Amino acid sequence: MVKLIGLVPLFPLIGFLINGFFGKKMSKGLSGAIASIAILASFIVSLLVFFDLLEHPDTTSHVVSIFSWINSDTLHIPFEFLVDHLSSLFLLIITGIGFLIHIYSIGYMHEDEGFSRFFTYLNLFVFFMLLLVLGNNYLIMFVGWEGVGLCSYLLIGFWFKNTAYNNAAKKAFIMNRIGDLGFLLGIILIFVTYGSISYGDVFGVARGANESTATAIALLLFIGAMGKSAQLPLYTWLPDAMAGPTPVSALIHAATMVTAGIYMVVRSNVFYIMSPAASEVVAVVGVATALFAATIGLFQNDIKKILAYSTVSQLGLMFMGLGAGAYSSSVFHVMTHAFFKALLFLGAGSVIHAMGGEQDIRRMGGLKKALPVTFMTMFLGTLAISGVFGFSGFFSKDEILAHTYEYSPVIWFFGSVTSLLTAFYMFRLMFLTFWGGFRGTHEQEHHLHESPKSMTFPLVVLAILSVVGGLIGLPEFWGAKNWIGEFLEPVATQPLNMLGHDQEIILMSIASVGAIVVIYFAYMVYRKNNVLPLEKESDMKPFQKLVYNKYYVDEVYDFLIRKPLDFISDILSRYVDKKMVDGVVNGVGTAVDGLSSVVRLLQTGNISFYILSMVVGIIAILFYTFIK
Amino acid sequence: MKGLFIISGLGILAMLAEIFKFKKILYPLVLVGILAAYAMTFVDWNPPTDHLSRLDELTASFSNMIRFDQVALAFSGVILVTAFFWFILASHYFENETNITDHFALVLFALVGALMLTSFSNMTTLFLGVEILSIPMYVLAASRKKDIASNEAGFKYLIMGSFASGFLLFGIALVYGATGTFDLGGISHYISNSHGDVPAFFYAGVIMMLIALCFKVSAAPFHFWAPDVYEGSPTVITALMSTVVKTAAFAALMRLFNVGFHHIGDVWGQIMAVVIGLSLVISNITAASQQSVKRMLAYSSISHAAFMLMGVLANKNGFDSISSILYYSLAYSVGSIASFTVLYNVSKDNNGHIEAFNGLSKRNPFLAVCMVVALLSLAGIPVTAGFFAKYFIFTTLIGTPYKWLLGVAVVTSAIGAYYYFKVLIAMYFKPAISTEPVKVEMSHTVLLIITTLFTLAIGIVPGYIIGIFK
Repeated sequence: MVKLIGLVPLFPLIGFLINGFFGKKMSKGLSGAIASIAILASFIVSLLVFFDLLEHPDTTSHVVSIFSWINSDTLHIPFEFLVDHLSSLFLLIITGIGFLIHIYSIGYMHEDEGFSRFFTYLNLFVFFMLLLVLGNNYLIMFVGWEGVGLCSYLLIGFWFKNTAYNNAAKKAFIMNRIGDLGFLLGIILIFVTYGSISYGDVFGVARGANESTATAIALLLFIGAMGKSAQLPLYTWLPDAMAGPTPVSALIHAATMVTAGIYMVVRSNVFYIMSPAASEVVAVVGVATALFAATIGLFQNDIKKILAYSTVSQLGLMFMGLGAGAYSSSVFHVMTHAFFKALLFLGAGSVIHAMGGEQDIRRMGGLKKALPVTFMTMFLGTLAISGVFGFSGFFSKDEILAHTYEYSPVIWFFGSVTSLLTAFYMFRLMFLTFWGGFRGTHEQEHHLHESPKSMTFPLVVLAILSVVGGLIGLPEFWGAKNWIGEFLEPVATQPLNMLGHDQEIILMSIASVGAIVVIYFAYMVYRKNNVLPLEKESDMKPFQKLVYNKYYVDEVYDFLIRKPLDFISDILSRYVDKKMVDGVVNGVGTAVDGLSSVVRLLQTGNISFYILSMVVGIIAILFYTFIK
Repeated sequence: MKGLFIISGLGILAMLAEIFKFKKILYPLVLVGILAAYAMTFVDWNPPTDHLSRLDELTASFSNMIRFDQVALAFSGVILVTAFFWFILASHYFENETNITDHFALVLFALVGALMLTSFSNMTTLFLGVEILSIPMYVLAASRKKDIASNEAGFKYLIMGSFASGFLLFGIALVYGATGTFDLGGISHYISNSHGDVPAFFYAGVIMMLIALCFKVSAAPFHFWAPDVYEGSPTVITALMSTVVKTAAFAALMRLFNVGFHHIGDVWGQIMAVVIGLSLVISNITAASQQSVKRMLAYSSISHAAFMLMGVLANKNGFDSISSILYYSLAYSVGSIASFTVLYNVSKDNNGHIEAFNGLSKRNPFLAVCMVVALLSLAGIPVTAGFFAKYFIFTTLIGTPYKWLLGVAVVTSAIGAYYYFKVLIAMYFKPAISTEPVKVEMSHTVLLIITTLFTLAIGIVPGYIIGIFK
């Protein structure tokens, strides 16, 4: 079964080619069906591969060679896929959620004229994402990494007639390029150190290198992860990326692509285990990002922006866990987060769809009657992300926090604060959107409707997963089996949780009670007292204003980086390029032209001159030969 | 050897065609014959006695006049493939002219001369080959009898060619006077046994032969005939000159200097290096201001001659660059055939002025794309065969004392890109002089598809040609 792994990325590639070449000539139904079936086929193969792995617990990984790719002097890079527990899990997330989002998109994008183009990009994205997690060496991962970056760019700027959207796309691309450079340097350093970039070769001998090399590699790779997974200081592209269609936000900017950084760190965990310093950086950056983004989320009014900051924040929590050595817990959280965040985005999409494109939660309210399915599913998703006891997010988040507490109580504290803030802003979103009176225009109110089946079906599936998804990682002290932890054991050995059961129960209780208290507080503010977010910035208190404006980070970057760069580039363009480079190039051209018009006069057409010049040449040569 | 017989037989048949009235089937007959001759190069490829198959094992004991070893066969193969392409290109030429059977015979006998030049092992056969190749070409250059430019071209070619032949003969006589043999192996043996104690007139003979062959491949400062003759001759004849004739002259030059005179490489090496440098600079700089694409291609062929000479120069300490020269001649011939085919179709009446190419991408996108690939290959832009051709020549030259030529070659190649791109710009960015689409007949379409794909294919997998002698 594992031999068929090549089919998994092949199906989306075929879907991409069909839609790319013939999409415009096909009906929308056919175009969407082809794209969705391609992903479904991949999902089925992924499932078969997954069960194959489960049935043979003794073989932990399979390397499937596709073809010989790069062969030069000392560099030999085969095109190989690695099927192991980690990649098979990611395959399921990507193809499973990918399939649901394809189905959803058929309904969501129905009116759009770029329908087939959308599915072309979406299939291409899935192809690259699968390449990223399947590759057996860093170069294939890098190809996938760049490929998903490209698709992300194309999809953020999908409505390319809007300049602001195009700018958002460019911003995402450039921010990612900064991270990619770090990643690329990391790969080069791995090659220089170990003479190979295949996982098997490198990880086997990784411990032969000294700690400072491991730190350098780990940090360079982490820079790549910062870009792709939107961590401080490279996170600013992700909120802007919400310019893309909502299914894109759900698939790329919540469930899959942004977790590529997590995947990469888990895959390379050996370097982080070797280097406590690098792990500490990861943990600190993670918790800082988590807290920072969560506070911004408190005062946002755009339903997708809130979810975007929430994603940044949740990714921060995952990195915090990675830094603390909780690799399988973070992968667990990647999975539950994929369920509930995809659900929340798709739900938000359904709301926006019903509101005729409106995204501001100040113009919503009382939607639960008009959109019962969307409301119920989103509510379950909110309970999950808020870490309410029993829901999937509770278990994964709790696992990360428990490991973090052991690693450093200070980081645990900020992590816990983040998760409380999460509960607050998510319920703020829910209360403002679904309860109270409708605050939009009369026309919008008249138009309100529940979304079609193709959109609500994925919502229901994801809602079920968000509720029960935690069952794969029940805490061990319950006497239950932490299935996912054991499953990932061969790929990433996670230090055993040494906390006593009592301590763990205390931590868990603090989190549960805290969440309930915060939700009640949100209820009091936004439901009981009907507090509405302020319309005008001038009415805000200074701190609120600061947070509302996202701490002015974009403006600071603009001032510190973009302005000086623009200035330098202006000078270089004006003086170095236009005067010097162009001058030299044009000068050479003019000189050749001038010379040419002189030299061509030699070609007189007069045959006696030709013979004369031949004779002169012959005499000169003979003279030279014999005088020498 | 069998291929040579077939082509000679075809030539005789062509002369008889008029009398026995089968000239209608002559054209297909010639195409089939050339393919048969080409097939023979495969039959002869593995000779029964292996130890005779390498050039460097030629010894004085050999007194054959002609030896079809693998190198000779490989170059014959290039010439025959090019000739086959050329006959497809020239189909109209044979329909429109009078006395077509004579033209067939002339081209076929020129081909016989070309094959002899790839395979001679004796200076007599060298001279015979040169003359058998040249004399039909003089006539063909002047074959458009009522066109004064064509007459002028033939006349100039004849006078200058005879002048060069005189030098060749003089050189052969001097070398024979010193060595007492016409055999290449014998000459090589003589030089290595004499330990530097050879009469000065031997060197004079070698130099004169070098000059004569430099004339034939149109290297500076013996290139003056080329632009005038190329421009004046009918376009298809120009195509023949710049492909088949050039490849044959190169094979001869390589054979003579890398087999016969390779022990005295120091004597002719420096002269050849200067000739190469001069050719590169003069051809590329002059080409830059040409307004006629035909004339531009003439100068471009001088520049390509210089590149192939680099291969011969690098060869003097071994035979490692034979395959690079082979690759270069193949890439260059195919690229030239393609560009001449486009030129022929685009400017049937105004003699290749660059304006005829204006807006070709609109008038016939297919021709424009084929021209782009052909020109990129001639300019040496990667993925096309021309890039690897230059690359392989450069890598062989890098180990010799003539590295400075690489600098000249790189700079002049950059200038070369300028005039090739002039045509590209005309095709894609200039408004067309007329909106009438350019019609291309089926056979030329097929030819262009084959040459274009071929140019890309051997650029993507150059190993098949480069590894041919291993």
